[in-house]
Amino acid sequence: MGRTLTLPSIVVTGMGAITPLGLSVAEYWQGLVNGRSGSGPITLFDASAYPVSVAAEVKNFDPEKYMPLKRVDRTSRCIQFAIAAVKMAIESARLDMSQEKPEKVGVIIATSGMMSIIADEGEVLRKRGPMRIDPLSIAKTAPSMVTAQAALEIGAKGPNTSLNSACASGNDALGTALNHLRLGHADVIIAGGAEANVNPISIASTARIGALSRETDPAKASRPFDLNRDGFVFGEGAGILVLETLEHARERKAPILAELASAGWSFDAYSETAPDAETQAIAMHMVLQDAGVAPEEIDYINAHGTSTRLNDAAETRSIKMVFGDRAYKIPISSNKSMIGHLACAAGAAEAVAAVMTVREGIIPPTINYETPDPECDLDYVPNKARRQPVNVCLSNSFGMGGQNCSLIIRRFP
Amino acid sequence: MSVEETLKKIVTRVTRKPEVAFSPGATFEELEADSLDIVQILVALEDTYDIEIQDEELQEIKNMGDFIAYIERKIGEKGK
Repeated sequence: MGRTLTLPSIVVTGMGAITPLGLSVAEYWQGLVNGRSGSGPITLFDASAYPVSVAAEVKNFDPEKYMPLKRVDRTSRCIQFAIAAVKMAIESARLDMSQEKPEKVGVIIATSGMMSIIADEGEVLRKRGPMRIDPLSIAKTAPSMVTAQAALEIGAKGPNTSLNSACASGNDALGTALNHLRLGHADVIIAGGAEANVNPISIASTARIGALSRETDPAKASRPFDLNRDGFVFGEGAGILVLETLEHARERKAPILAELASAGWSFDAYSETAPDAETQAIAMHMVLQDAGVAPEEIDYINAHGTSTRLNDAAETRSIKMVFGDRAYKIPISSNKSMIGHLACAAGAAEAVAAVMTVREGIIPPTINYETPDPECDLDYVPNKARRQPVNVCLSNSFGMGGQNCSLIIRRFP
Repeated sequence: MSVEETLKKIVTRVTRKPEVAFSPGATFEELEADSLDIVQILVALEDTYDIEIQDEELQEIKNMGDFIAYIERKIGEKGK
């Protein structure tokens, strides 16, 4: 027999977001509620020879607004997104680091780092030799440095991990933080994801496996659950949540935005790229069980909803496996229709939206939903936001490779 | 631009400390350059002058004046 643990409640006390819809949680949320697309023609590099011309880029981001120049010099776009969102999140949580035990504040960020820098430096290495490599190239590239630099910037000495489980990573980071907090490893964990994937190597490779939309009209390219969907749109940015035990939040009189009730995990062990509905359902069952929430209590599902043929059909099937006939009555929507796919940061950016949904009682739509697909026959909140109270939100994230992680975010009374 | 002017420009760009005065008598420490800054300064000089700086040769260098003389020597050797 194992020990019986009484687990503390874990709450969200602050949020930060750098997204294709804007550089704050408020702008991001406004964009989502208004059904605005953050996609546009690729501008971060010359994509004229690429089969894909559209991405959801972060616009007008000035890293100097968020960190000293020296840190700007020593970091990449991905790390800078993370630092900016972390600072925004701790400000909104009114977290004063000088009042915290630094070793009890952790940072866990999901990211793939910035492999494009390695590709660029590989070019330098071949053409000009080993002595011409940027000495900071690994420091700017390594996923570990994303979380390290963010914690360095704020002086957080608790658990520090960069986490990668592909497109499930954002949820995985929040679930991992949840468990650290439940076990008392930290009082506060600043968790989420950061990604800067609009670069030649990511776009070329993902386009070649057929996962990206080839639509040339940016606003129409990401169309989750629509019959004519043809792949996802790469997005970039960061979503960060300040998580802490309810007790700690109350002690310091922090604003409590919502509860992160539980996380559930599974792995398909099925295919490198194709999803498996049955294993996705395992993660959803686990998250319900862990939260002590019955399927009937779920008011809304923030879908993984990538806009690929396979994902959206599999996710629809897995939701039906878990919820049976009730699946038809639960509103389901995909933020990716507007912000694109933030890869490792997707779940975290979507968790920010889920917290706003339970707080505001507004469900953001799935935009570009025009033609129903017989394989996707649920209520995807087409094209217009819906005002509806949401007490319990399930948020799915599924990784290419087979990682599944679902979260439950609950309205805090 | 003289080597001194170039070095001054690179040091200021890398350290991001425009308030710290550059002079031939100054050491890297006085210029508030940390180890990562120094590596970046060396790489920038190698790039600018197409020279190769040997770490072991730097042991003799006490201040910017020595460093300027060293770089001028390296540039001179290049033509030979």
